[in-house]
Amino acid sequence: MITVTINGKEIKLEKPVTVLEAARSAGIKIPTLCYHEQLEKYGGCRLCLVEVEKMPRLQTACTLMAADGMVVRTETEAIADVRRGVLEFLLINHPLDCPYCDKAGECELQDLVEKYGPTTGRFKEKKRKAPESLEDPVLVRNMERCVVCTRCVRMCEGVQGAAAIGVINRGGHSHVEPFSGGRFECEYCGNCVSACPVGAIMSRLHRHSYRPWQLVSETETICPYCGVGCTLVAQVRDDVIKRVVPRIGTPVNNGLLCSRGRFGYEFVGSKERLTTPLIKKNGVLEQSTWEEAIGFVARRLGELKTRYGGDAIAGIASPRCTNEDNYVFQKFMRVALGTNNIDSTARTGYAGAQAFIENIFGQGATANLIPGLANADAVLIAGGDPTAVNPILGLQIRSCARKGGNILTIGHVKGVRHYNPAELKPNVHTEAALLEGVVTALKEKKGLPGSIQTLESKIKEIHRPLDDAARTCGVTEKDLAAFVEALSTASTPALVIGKEVIQSAGGSYNLLLLSAVAYLVNARIHLLSERANEQGVVDMGCAPDLLPGCRPLSYVEFRRRYEAAWKSPIPEKQGMTIFDMIDAAKAGSLRALYVMGENPVFNLPNAKGVEAALRGLELLVVQDIFMTETARMADVVFPALSWAEREGTFTNMERRLQLLRKAVNREGMEDWRIVVEVAGNMGVRMHFSSAEDIFAEITRVSPLHRDLSYEELEKSGIYPYKGEPLRGVTGDIAVAKPAAGDGGGLFLGIERPLFHSGTLSRRAPGLVKIYETAVARISPATAAARSLKEGDMVRVSSVIGYLELPVAVDFAVRDALVMITNNFEGRGALSLMELVLDPVLRAPVADKTAVTIEKAGR
Amino acid sequence: MFSEAAVREIQEIRAKYPTARAALLPAIYVAQREFGWLTPEAYEAVSDLLGVPRAIARGVGTFYAMYRQKPMGRHVVQLCTNVSCMILGAERLVDFLKSRFGLEPGGTTQDGRFSLVIMECIGACGTAPAMLVNDDFYENLTEKSIEEILGKYR
Ligand code: SF4
Ligand code: SF4
Ligand code: SF4
Ligand code: FES
Ligand code: FES
Repeated sequence: MITVTINGKEIKLEKPVTVLEAARSAGIKIPTLCYHEQLEKYGGCRLCLVEVEKMPRLQTACTLMAADGMVVRTETEAIADVRRGVLEFLLINHPLDCPYCDKAGECELQDLVEKYGPTTGRFKEKKRKAPESLEDPVLVRNMERCVVCTRCVRMCEGVQGAAAIGVINRGGHSHVEPFSGGRFECEYCGNCVSACPVGAIMSRLHRHSYRPWQLVSETETICPYCGVGCTLVAQVRDDVIKRVVPRIGTPVNNGLLCSRGRFGYEFVGSKERLTTPLIKKNGVLEQSTWEEAIGFVARRLGELKTRYGGDAIAGIASPRCTNEDNYVFQKFMRVALGTNNIDSTARTGYAGAQAFIENIFGQGATANLIPGLANADAVLIAGGDPTAVNPILGLQIRSCARKGGNILTIGHVKGVRHYNPAELKPNVHTEAALLEGVVTALKEKKGLPGSIQTLESKIKEIHRPLDDAARTCGVTEKDLAAFVEALSTASTPALVIGKEVIQSAGGSYNLLLLSAVAYLVNARIHLLSERANEQGVVDMGCAPDLLPGCRPLSYVEFRRRYEAAWKSPIPEKQGMTIFDMIDAAKAGSLRALYVMGENPVFNLPNAKGVEAALRGLELLVVQDIFMTETARMADVVFPALSWAEREGTFTNMERRLQLLRKAVNREGMEDWRIVVEVAGNMGVRMHFSSAEDIFAEITRVSPLHRDLSYEELEKSGIYPYKGEPLRGVTGDIAVAKPAAGDGGGLFLGIERPLFHSGTLSRRAPGLVKIYETAVARISPATAAARSLKEGDMVRVSSVIGYLELPVAVDFAVRDALVMITNNFEGRGALSLMELVLDPVLRAPVADKTAVTIEKAGR
Repeated sequence: MFSEAAVREIQEIRAKYPTARAALLPAIYVAQREFGWLTPEAYEAVSDLLGVPRAIARGVGTFYAMYRQKPMGRHVVQLCTNVSCMILGAERLVDFLKSRFGLEPGGTTQDGRFSLVIMECIGACGTAPAMLVNDDFYENLTEKSIEEILGKYR
């Protein structure tokens, strides 16, 4: 125990901390400027100077460790004098343009000068001048205001790991610049904005549109973009979200956000939002009333059900909607329509992969704490760039590397390239051979643990010597051996699995091999998730074979239990997956499709094929916040409330349940309420009047969510869940090995950029300005072989169709791939993709679509 | 891009230091020599080779006065005008450079032959006035000797 006396107050410290932290723990304020609790200590600004008995000079409290018996004074005349002096120096070059500066009111310099500062300065020289930099779409840099505390630089380098900015020049001329001197060309996380104590780096989105003290409300809610589930605070004025900021201390993202979370909120206030229900009359969608539209849908669904039976109707739920929406929707499909035809785009990878892994290891195998990654001693990344797909999770991997952990990647992972990764770059379509080599070697090194027999019998069948694996995949045996060595010697390894290995030919076999690796080295598994509630949509039972809580429909006892709870029979027959639905629509056996918050035409492979299939339906109902490619084809479109306008819960990739809170008001109905209304009109009463009501039912029905409540979630979310995970349903592990590779040529790849996330982000102007348009991303070698250069218009063609896009030459792209994002209207990668399903995962195979690329003719 | 020799030189430099950052200063010198001055490409080349982020390399490079932040002539004259040199006539030498060679402090001759940088003491106070031409040291300067010396640099 260390005891220090600060301003006469005795403070007992459990562990060694700085004088500043000791003082703060006792509620004593010491002014600071360069100190930031998330950053490395710096001791640069000299504002935190304090007097320490028996020490000759004033000491910086932010760097001085408290020692037993220390006697400290924080406010004396001498200290005040020095602080006044420091501030006078800082103001020499500061423009004092507070009346015009967005930071005024929450500026640390303003507060300090108001408290300690001189009223006049003695310097007569001219102040330095630097024009405000407006070159960037989302950030404004005003270097006249910079006090060179280096908080932004330390944030960008030491926490974000981007190192995009640095202090340049010397003395009075020093200030912060990105390398280009103009545009940041960085990851645009905006964490430097949070770090800056003054108005020197700020968000451009709310520029000059409000004062911090004019904010009417601050709502803590969950990011709508990816499966990490960051907590963010929406600051609101005039019922408009003015700014989104993180908060230090939240469990998943602790004071950090990524570009999507911080700058992607503007879609909420978009003028393109749907406002009234629409009904198609004479081939045109016309404005209608809620009453008419709901009545129409209920009547038509009723008719179709009577005529063709419930199984001629299907529903697509949404990984963007809340658990409550999804729960109500699947219940509606099962109870009101009498079918298990319910699925979501989680089917395109996440759901199948998770089911596969849980089948081996038990439910919850992928529910691992994201911040735990930072403490792993090795992280193996396979199938994508976590720093782009799940950026805040990516930061934990970077942090792991900074602490000395080994980063191992299969393929080039751009976001960790500065962290000295051990990189194996197998030729296209040889990942499985590589992993076979790794598993074989690990099996020899580590032996079989003997705990999961089904998996071990599979592992025993795997045999590929290292030299053979190296030869087949085009890597060196030395690199491969080092890779295996690093994995086998790790004591707390983690495995991060991205969609690229799942959506590849032999996806289930890849997963088996990765599971084997995880098993042999005892690694925790993280499954990257692109949508905010991808886990939740599955857990709510929006799957043709699962009931809420992920209970298999095929188990009679489970079904009986839900039937009792719902007081309604549940059909025994397993429903259609999202892909079966499209096939059935094409074949004519599916008559009606009800889509809640999803855009299958855009988000499923082969846009034209999906479109053609949907055209054959007798009824297509879409609930969405925007007019999407799918909504345009619908017979009825309901405008839904967006993420910011309602309550509910999301389940993130850790299976943490978190509460969404309403930030702004808008007229209209939540997705679940629309469904409840339709059901009511069909004579099926669902007695829900709030999201909380629904959650209460979920906690009664789903064993996974047992005994939870909003009140409990209110505190900080629940991890992982208190209910019973399901274990021991394991049968045999079905896998489908990939067919032999089909040699050379180019294949389509899906780019997953940091700045976008499908149909939401393309309505967020900030994000669109960072990444404006779809491109065909190719490697320098591919470009050279076809005499293409950056910006050339090319036609990328597959058997499905073609897209004309400008070329981007990118060192990170593999030679055999043409990478295109799936975000921009009319130019989505999936529109070119052939629909081939992995027979086990029932997820599409994304890397087998052959493409050609040639200069677009004019 | 660096020449192969420059790459080797920087790799040798790197080997002498415990961290890549520590090797930045001498490596930036090599880049300056290779690119003429510290162009964005020069920083990129150094940062790629050493694995130090670009913004950081640029921050280090812009801190020091003896790096060239803008294009320079083929030969750089660094003339001291601090106290000792000033007392012994450095101001006159500045005027001479201007009238004889058209070379202004901070400027470059039209033909790109010389650039002039004014220095604050180069440690030759005992033999002032003094200057450096590139890496060569000259002292006890007069107008005549300057004329002769610069004649050697084409
Ligand atoms: S936005 Fe993020 S990546 Fe860009 S400079 Fe700021 S901290 Fe660095
Ligand atoms: S921009 Fe802001 S955070 Fe960065 S050094 Fe300047 S004042 Fe500090
Ligand atoms: S990491 Fe994901 S959840 Fe977090 S801010 Fe970014 S998009 Fe949102
Ligand atoms: S806060 Fe301690 S020196 Fe800046
Ligand atoms: S004053 Fe010129 S060398 Fe010292």
